[in-house]
Amino acid sequence: MTGTGRYIAWRVASMLVTVFIGAAAVFFAMKAAPGDPALSVLGESATPEAVAEFRSRHNLDAPLPLQFWTWLAAALQGDFGLSLTVAGGRRISDLILQRLPNTVFIGLFAVAMAVLVSLTAGTIAALRRGQLADTLATTLAVVGISMPDFWLSYILVFTLALGLGLFPSFGFTSPLDSFSGALYSGFLPAAAVAAPMAAVFSRTLRAALLDQLHREHVFAARSFGFHPLAIFVHGVFRNALIPYVTVIGLQIRYILGGVVVIERIFGIPGLGSLMVDAAFARDYPVVQACAIVFLVIVLSVNLAVDLVCTSLDPRRSR
Amino acid sequence: MDRTSLDLTRRRALLLGGSATAALAGGWPTAALAQGSTLRAGITGYNVINTLDPGKATLIPEFYVIWGLYNALMKFDAKMNPMPDLAESVRASGDGALEFKLRQGVKFHDGSDLTSDDVKFTIERLLDEKFASPNKSKVSAIDRVETPDPLTVRLITKEPFAPLLTFLGNARTGTQILSRKAVAAAGDDFGKKPVGTGAYMLKDWRPGERVTVTAFENYFVGKPHVATIDMPLIAEESSGVTALLGGQIDLTSTAPFADIPTLQQNSSITVLKQPGMNCRFISLNHRRAPFDDPAFRRACSLAFDRNAMVRAILFGEGVPSAGLIPPSLEYAYRGATHPLTTYNPERAKAEFAKSKYKAGQEGVVLTWGQTWWKRIAEVFTAQANQTLGTKLTVEVTEANTVFQRLRAGDYQASAWGWLGFIDPDEYTYDILHTKGWRNFEGYSNPKLDAMLEQARRELDKQKRGVIYKEAETAMLEDMPILPCFCSNIHNLMSKKVRGFEQLPFSNWGDQFANLTIS
Repeated sequence: MTGTGRYIAWRVASMLVTVFIGAAAVFFAMKAAPGDPALSVLGESATPEAVAEFRSRHNLDAPLPLQFWTWLAAALQGDFGLSLTVAGGRRISDLILQRLPNTVFIGLFAVAMAVLVSLTAGTIAALRRGQLADTLATTLAVVGISMPDFWLSYILVFTLALGLGLFPSFGFTSPLDSFSGALYSGFLPAAAVAAPMAAVFSRTLRAALLDQLHREHVFAARSFGFHPLAIFVHGVFRNALIPYVTVIGLQIRYILGGVVVIERIFGIPGLGSLMVDAAFARDYPVVQACAIVFLVIVLSVNLAVDLVCTSLDPRRSR
Repeated sequence: MDRTSLDLTRRRALLLGGSATAALAGGWPTAALAQGSTLRAGITGYNVINTLDPGKATLIPEFYVIWGLYNALMKFDAKMNPMPDLAESVRASGDGALEFKLRQGVKFHDGSDLTSDDVKFTIERLLDEKFASPNKSKVSAIDRVETPDPLTVRLITKEPFAPLLTFLGNARTGTQILSRKAVAAAGDDFGKKPVGTGAYMLKDWRPGERVTVTAFENYFVGKPHVATIDMPLIAEESSGVTALLGGQIDLTSTAPFADIPTLQQNSSITVLKQPGMNCRFISLNHRRAPFDDPAFRRACSLAFDRNAMVRAILFGEGVPSAGLIPPSLEYAYRGATHPLTTYNPERAKAEFAKSKYKAGQEGVVLTWGQTWWKRIAEVFTAQANQTLGTKLTVEVTEANTVFQRLRAGDYQASAWGWLGFIDPDEYTYDILHTKGWRNFEGYSNPKLDAMLEQARRELDKQKRGVIYKEAETAMLEDMPILPCFCSNIHNLMSKKVRGFEQLPFSNWGDQFANLTIS
């Protein structure tokens, strides 16, 4: 176990380095892009005096390395500073704490949906290879992958919300305010996010299961007369879970940043929208903070996925 | 959406289930009462509000809310005439000062009384260099403020300044009246904890998400009908439409142009529309080739069809422009057409021949990808190239960059426009006068400058209007910018909402006091 401990420590250390490099890259890239937060917040009526006052108030006239250092020193103490242009004067940590639960909730909701669907569809497709069920599942998966999520969102809104009136057509209740409300109002957006994921997951699972089904150890187990269910669970399914879990882990990235369009369509105050708004309005510290949060989450999920895979296949820890 | 809408869904279910009972029991008063208590007014197309301090506000959605929280000395009628609001009356006194009599018994949200000292404080705060208000230019004509008694304010200007009365209205002016006491109490947090005299008080504000306001019991006109107004910030206009159609909101602040014809057919909603206070034009940099040549600028103006632009870009929701002043400012509007802004390929080629540029001339129209700006540039360059044989191209970047380059004079041409301004001076002097602070073109025409200065001094509205009409006609000979069109403004409303009067400057919160829900 010391091996695993050392492994985790090494991974955490490399994560910190990655986060630092990422923060620096985002900081200098943002500064290199043209545009000025002062103009975003002061708008068309900005006078030169007002612009100068804004810059000096927010330390934007200091040399770049110094600005980065000031930011980093505060960030290391957990202080992300104040928003400049998307929520003027608000604590960025408050903004993130307010939005992170929404993003995490929709993400987990969508992953849960996608996992449920793909476990069923992928397994049936693999076991009924070449039959109608397989063709149906595979075709749906292709549709799921090819369909743009915003288009699916509108279809869901027009049919289930505006047509049948089953769900609200817009808006989201934070899970912190009401969990059932979040499930209800988050169903359509989560379904739109889940559809392409379910398709990818199903295909991965089907392929992995098929691969395992034709391995020698499965033939051997069958010839010994083991129960088919036992062979499937222990000899096939468990092995097939490794690529499956890896693919789920990879999709986390999409859930965090890639669902901005869905957030916009349904009016979900998520972290992705905050970061995009901040980037457009040149709210540098907000972009920085969001980037850090995203990086940490993605790297942590990667670590978790690796640990799960290791536990599924103990040979990996050697 | 939030708990309110879920409650409403449940309530609707209850109403359905209970309608039979209600018929027997003679109605469902509690449900009716509860439904009347909250109105959901979606701010569509925007989701950033940084401050609710009028002195610091610049963004349109900031003013949407500000108009409901505060009052100014004046307000506007449907024809954009300034009317007394916090002022009871206004007159020009013999010495050139504007003298306002304030209404008696006006209360701020914190319970204090409005006095002339609060007006003085508000204006001096805007004028204060250290405060660096982006709205300072609205009051910079004021030399000093006198308060002879608690209900009289005298504004003394250095010279007659006709737009001042307009600038003291409740629009995007920043001149909404604040309480000296409340500002001192809140300090730097005033933008987050606004205190005004308006019909509604701030209750809750989640950045990027929603602003909620509640009725102010002691509003000087009378307590508003609707107890709570919830304003979700809906970045996507089309999501605002689905939210309205799905019953998640009752009112929108804008609507997508392409959807208007369909929405007008929908009997469950009301579409309010009229030409707005805006002008969309192509800004031309006079310091750089090829737009430094008046003949070339005129050729460009004649080379594209503004009616086609209105059809293709606005889906017919607007009118072509032959100037910068929008039609809503009737007294100063010179009309929608002029020979030099009418598509005329022959004359365009003749003007082009007079210019120092030849076929194949290159030029870049700078624009950004959102909404219609890119399409204005595309329609213009395509038609101009076809008519003149030029090689104008479109460069797409994003708004913040375009704005910065425009201010720096680092561009050749750019699709641009202003909206929500309320005085002809803002549409002309600021953009065309040599000293105009939005004159990014580097345009300078002493004759036009003199006319615009004269218009500033002319206090008689009709005479002033005539000067603007003449100035715009004179401007067209030089074609410093290419006027394109003026677009309609829209609000969508559920049938159960009553009392919203749409004004040409895209008003919003100022109407909250009049709203009722049936």
